[in-house]
Amino acid sequence: MSIIPPSGTAEDAREGMRTEAVSPRSRTWRAFVRNPFGLVSLAVLFLIVAVALAAPLIAGEPGGYSADVLAPPSAEHWLGTDNIGRDVYNQIVWGARTSLAVGLGASALAIVLGAAVGIGAAYFRRLDTPLGMLIDVMLSLPILPLMILVAALAGPSISTLVVVIAVFSWPEVARVVRSQALPVVDLTYVNAAHVIGAPNRWVLLRHVLPAVTPVIVVSVVLTASRAVLSEAGLSFLGLGDPSSWSWGTILYNAQRSGVLASAWWTALFPSLAILLLVVAATLTSLAYNDARNPRTRGDSAR
Amino acid sequence: MGLLRFVSVRLLRGLLTLWFAVTVTFFLVRLLPGDPALAVASPTMTADQRAQMLSDFGLDEPLLVQYATYLGQLAQGNLGISFRQNAPVLDILLERLPWTLLLTGSSLVVTLIVGVPLAVAAARRQGSALDRAVQVGGVVGQALFVPTVGIFLLYVFGVWLGWLPIGGAMASDVYGVAAYGSILAHLVLPGLSLVLLQLGPYVLFLRTSLIEALSEDYTNVARSKGVSETKVVWVHALRNALLPTVTLVGLQLGFLVGGSVLTETIFAYPGIGRAIYESVGQLDFPVMQGAFVLLAATVVVANLLTDLMYGLLDPRVRQT
Repeated sequence: MSIIPPSGTAEDAREGMRTEAVSPRSRTWRAFVRNPFGLVSLAVLFLIVAVALAAPLIAGEPGGYSADVLAPPSAEHWLGTDNIGRDVYNQIVWGARTSLAVGLGASALAIVLGAAVGIGAAYFRRLDTPLGMLIDVMLSLPILPLMILVAALAGPSISTLVVVIAVFSWPEVARVVRSQALPVVDLTYVNAAHVIGAPNRWVLLRHVLPAVTPVIVVSVVLTASRAVLSEAGLSFLGLGDPSSWSWGTILYNAQRSGVLASAWWTALFPSLAILLLVVAATLTSLAYNDARNPRTRGDSAR
Repeated sequence: MGLLRFVSVRLLRGLLTLWFAVTVTFFLVRLLPGDPALAVASPTMTADQRAQMLSDFGLDEPLLVQYATYLGQLAQGNLGISFRQNAPVLDILLERLPWTLLLTGSSLVVTLIVGVPLAVAAARRQGSALDRAVQVGGVVGQALFVPTVGIFLLYVFGVWLGWLPIGGAMASDVYGVAAYGSILAHLVLPGLSLVLLQLGPYVLFLRTSLIEALSEDYTNVARSKGVSETKVVWVHALRNALLPTVTLVGLQLGFLVGGSVLTETIFAYPGIGRAIYESVGQLDFPVMQGAFVLLAATVVVANLLTDLMYGLLDPRVRQT
């Protein structure tokens, strides 16, 4: 995230706005902190990251079978146990690692691919038709069944999940980046750069990429949250990494052992974890979008 | 004339999409490490038996020959033989397809029936409590995990209240009118899960286009002519605002089909999605591959239908 924490108090900020020009970045940050939704969501995201990082400290290794099969939530097992007696709380804490790793990994890969294709299509006119068509075709296909096929063939593992999700998630990024880059490549300063003989690489890096960076920032969060959903979906269908813990796998085990309807805690808590992460990510990116947009920011007159 | 050209261009694109889907799956299945031969062969087989079986399934030919054979067979409607059930994949899947079409189709219709008035109400009173609720609900709705919604509905209405059946597509011992009732009762929960998942994007999108349309000149002209506000919204603005929404249907269809895979799994609904879930457990690759191809074909056909509707809604398409 390109958000820089504010330096100084709110008083300073108001002073600064009145007297001198404020950098767009700090103006965005100030609008962002004014929005309680955005701030709370960001805090929730940080909390989830902290939980994932601190997993060994705050939860036991969830591997152990125990005699406490399907125990409801209690002081000993905060969130109950599953059909073979594994603690649900421990699984959720360790599952946060998988979700975040797959989400961030797949998102990073999809962003690189999508940004490259999107910018390429907008900048090199000859590529626009074939690439645009490829994006359209990929977007219209039912991606989940395709992901299932590939994940089943390649064998379940975290790296498989990352690659599979990224390979089928980039078109969404490419579409957004392309539509943002299209008007930019015709702007005067881009033409001027061509006139003075700047190589394509330089124009792309200096002019086109900075213009699409904000969309990319938003895409990182949105793509990551979609990747978390995809990972949970694939794990729910039994394609999760068998050697690690995953929120979707908890649901898969509950579904397969037929305890979904009777042991509500095996379904509720992992579901809540997924919901919390994805809603927080979505709201954070929305709040960032609003804070960046002078029309919704509310300080455009000043 | 314009419409004919529009449709034929869309038809070509649909065929291209289908060819792409078929080709990608074919090469993925053959090139990825998960060896289909390993999935069929059992360790107790002798080398001869194994070779015999590979040639039975046509797995010993060169890749391009296999590809050409596959395309040729596909054109005749042959999706191969299931590894596990010893039956043609197409037969297995065609038996399932009506259920998936019923589930996804009815949920799409209900989504639009509920979504359009909701979007209209929100757009007419921008900033009202209802509008806020629609916006927050839309965002949260997009963030929902498909199984979460299904499990929640299953638990509340199926287990806790006991109003509706929790799995399957119909009771086995009912006939006549009662059978239709049973089908409907079994459809409610999985259908409702899909409605809840799709409602957000549609309502948010239509609301935005409506708000835009309501500030356009032509709606002001209609108002100044004395047309009632209800008619301005429902007739003048809505028709134009629906156009981009029809495009959204095309983009959302793939997502809807993906959602149906997860929903059918939860409710043991005997559609294509459930077949995919079962074939994952059995490593039945021909069924997985065939299911994807069939679902892709369904989406292509549905997209063609929405394109056709777009052409009928928008006179500009017919003229240019």
